[in-house]
Amino acid sequence: MAAVGLKCPECGSLDIVDDEHYSQPQLVCADCGAVVSEGLLTTTRSEELQGTDVRYSNSTEVNKQPCRNQIKGIHRVRALCRILRLSFVMEETAENYFKQAYEHPSFIRVSLQKKEVLAGCCILATCRQHSWPITMGTMTCLLEANPKLMGVVYQEMVKALKIEAPPTSVIDLLETHCQAYKLSPQHVHEELSESSKDLTKRAAVLLELAADAWLVTGRQPVPILTASIYLAWQSLKPTQTRLKYTLARFCQMAKVAKSSIAPKRVTELKEVLCKLGQELPWLRGSEMTPQTVVQMVDDILNYRLTLLRKALKSHEAALASESELPPSLEDTQPGPRDDAPSLDATASQPDAESAQQPQQDVDLTCTVVMGGLSRAGSGQVSTPSKRSLFEPPSVTHAKIRRVQLPVKEVTGDEEISDSEIDSYIRTPQEMRDYAEAKEALSSSEEEF
Amino acid sequence: SVMDEGSALERYFDEPIETTQADSGFLFEGDLGLQGTPQLQNSSFLSTLSQPEKDIGEDLDLSFLPDDLPEESRGNAANVTQDSGLFDADRSEDFETDSNNAMPGTSTFCPMTPMTPLAPVAESSGIIPILQNIVSTVNLACPLDLKSIALQARNAEYNPKRFAAVIMRIREPRTTALIFSSGKMVCTGAKSEDQSRLAARKYARVVQKLGFPAKFLDFKIQNMVGSCDVCFPIRLEGLVLTHQQFSSYEPELFPGLIYRMVKPRIVLLIFVSGKVVLTGAKERGEIYEAFENIYPILKGFRKQ
Repeated sequence: MAAVGLKCPECGSLDIVDDEHYSQPQLVCADCGAVVSEGLLTTTRSEELQGTDVRYSNSTEVNKQPCRNQIKGIHRVRALCRILRLSFVMEETAENYFKQAYEHPSFIRVSLQKKEVLAGCCILATCRQHSWPITMGTMTCLLEANPKLMGVVYQEMVKALKIEAPPTSVIDLLETHCQAYKLSPQHVHEELSESSKDLTKRAAVLLELAADAWLVTGRQPVPILTASIYLAWQSLKPTQTRLKYTLARFCQMAKVAKSSIAPKRVTELKEVLCKLGQELPWLRGSEMTPQTVVQMVDDILNYRLTLLRKALKSHEAALASESELPPSLEDTQPGPRDDAPSLDATASQPDAESAQQPQQDVDLTCTVVMGGLSRAGSGQVSTPSKRSLFEPPSVTHAKIRRVQLPVKEVTGDEEISDSEIDSYIRTPQEMRDYAEAKEALSSSEEEF
Repeated sequence: SVMDEGSALERYFDEPIETTQADSGFLFEGDLGLQGTPQLQNSSFLSTLSQPEKDIGEDLDLSFLPDDLPEESRGNAANVTQDSGLFDADRSEDFETDSNNAMPGTSTFCPMTPMTPLAPVAESSGIIPILQNIVSTVNLACPLDLKSIALQARNAEYNPKRFAAVIMRIREPRTTALIFSSGKMVCTGAKSEDQSRLAARKYARVVQKLGFPAKFLDFKIQNMVGSCDVCFPIRLEGLVLTHQQFSSYEPELFPGLIYRMVKPRIVLLIFVSGKVVLTGAKERGEIYEAFENIYPILKGFRKQ
């Protein structure tokens, strides 16, 4: 029964039913078949006034044309690829990624800003897969985007598309970074100029040394690149003129962006060079300081393997002599220097025969075996004062941690004393004071 | 002899940095074709790759463990008050080799109470992650007047323009709670599950004393964070190359490597200094399991 009280105009019967004719609702008389009313539109009055838009992505259009923003995005991808002079294959790959990512559920509804950044992220991933060296920072600059947003979108995209893009190694970035430095004779005075090739070569060796000495892992790549190039430039012609140039002045001259972190890297790199330079036989006992090391960089780099070996040896000797200082702890016989005393935690090799077993490589990084596997009783992992010659700076300058209070044994079901809970509740006087103070504060704010 | 040491050193320097770990013999014996092997999706399988010659069954032989775990404690790590079921029976299904040592289906092993085993367990790291933070939620099951709570309680903060909840703190256990007007509460900062529960109960008692009929329903641990130190530096660039499917290392964004372990589903932050942060666990055992899985992988990156 459709509507009570409706009468068929033809036969006068009250039997009117709802019927649908091709989804057009009609009221039909059951007795004579006359159509009482038809063509009722299915919207309510309010819906007529505020139309409910259907998103293009939700629409039922069969062959969906890419939406305007997607087309713009693809154009942006192409433009960036042309600017970066990427190969055609890479351009296509980047476009593909962009199309896939754009239509992926996690990206179809994001803000326009994110979609713009997405274009750059696809190109970045493609470059990494084809070993084309480019930093995220460069891409962020090209897009004029927020670096944090870039990071977020890049990681989301890699996860969504399930692609693997290994991060570029710092060494690969060196050559392109070096080319940005304007140090050719037409830009600077002949005394200060250096060819890009020579600079890159020297900086590459310095960079490798830095990487092996743990100065690169976990850090921003660009400052360490700047530091390597600066030291390379100074050491290729260590005249007084060049040595007087600070890093800031050097960057200004070479028309390269300054960085606040690069000076720290320069200091760290000089320290590493000093450690090696100290072993130079023609020093004859004089100190190798960061000021004097630059002139010797040439020699240091040429003989760095030998110097490294010697430095490690003298480091071990220093450790061994250090551990012999407290005689009370010394249970073992004061034998030859190579035998590491087994009791002391600052010992180098736990197997004392390391010096006699040449096949065990002298290890640059950690000379103490942790985990208590090779020692019977001592499972305690103590932190020796100076374990190895080169350590990541975060280990050498470890943060002084707040003393950890011992974890209290608690069952979770203890009785909670009333007095403790009461200590967290205000007295009535306090509540009055608080309320008054709040009112006074809010009224004084209103005055402004 | 010096000459041999020298040649080893020279070889070390001659290899470019990024392939040093991948090519070195101590991690993989020859080329294992990392890409595309379905087995490698399971990270717990990966831990066995660090000792390729050993039979996997050997690693799983825990039959030397006594049935009753003694009540030892070591260092300042909290004792386990509940069975955390570290090595579940499920793990035996992950290994596709036929293990002649059947994993006891119901036995649970928790390295939290360490003991000197009769046979040395080659896999055990001897390092136990320390829990740093527990996040839990509970339903007080009554609507709350946040303004009234902020007025009556000494340890409450309420700034409705900034955040729609009262921030309350108690001294013991040292925790912070977010209390919402719906009656739901989040408790953070505890160092153990029981501490979190005790703290949550204390907050509920405070709310009760302030005049609300608070209950204590559906207490649940939502997240656990642990940390530890393997005490040797780690080449993150190498790790990200060999474990690409799980790792994300972007030095421009964050100094640590983000490792998303599949089983158990834990996220690890691995830093160059050797410190490891593990998060995303709902149970303490997941943190221990995750660390035991990652330790052999990290060990493989130490220069021998």
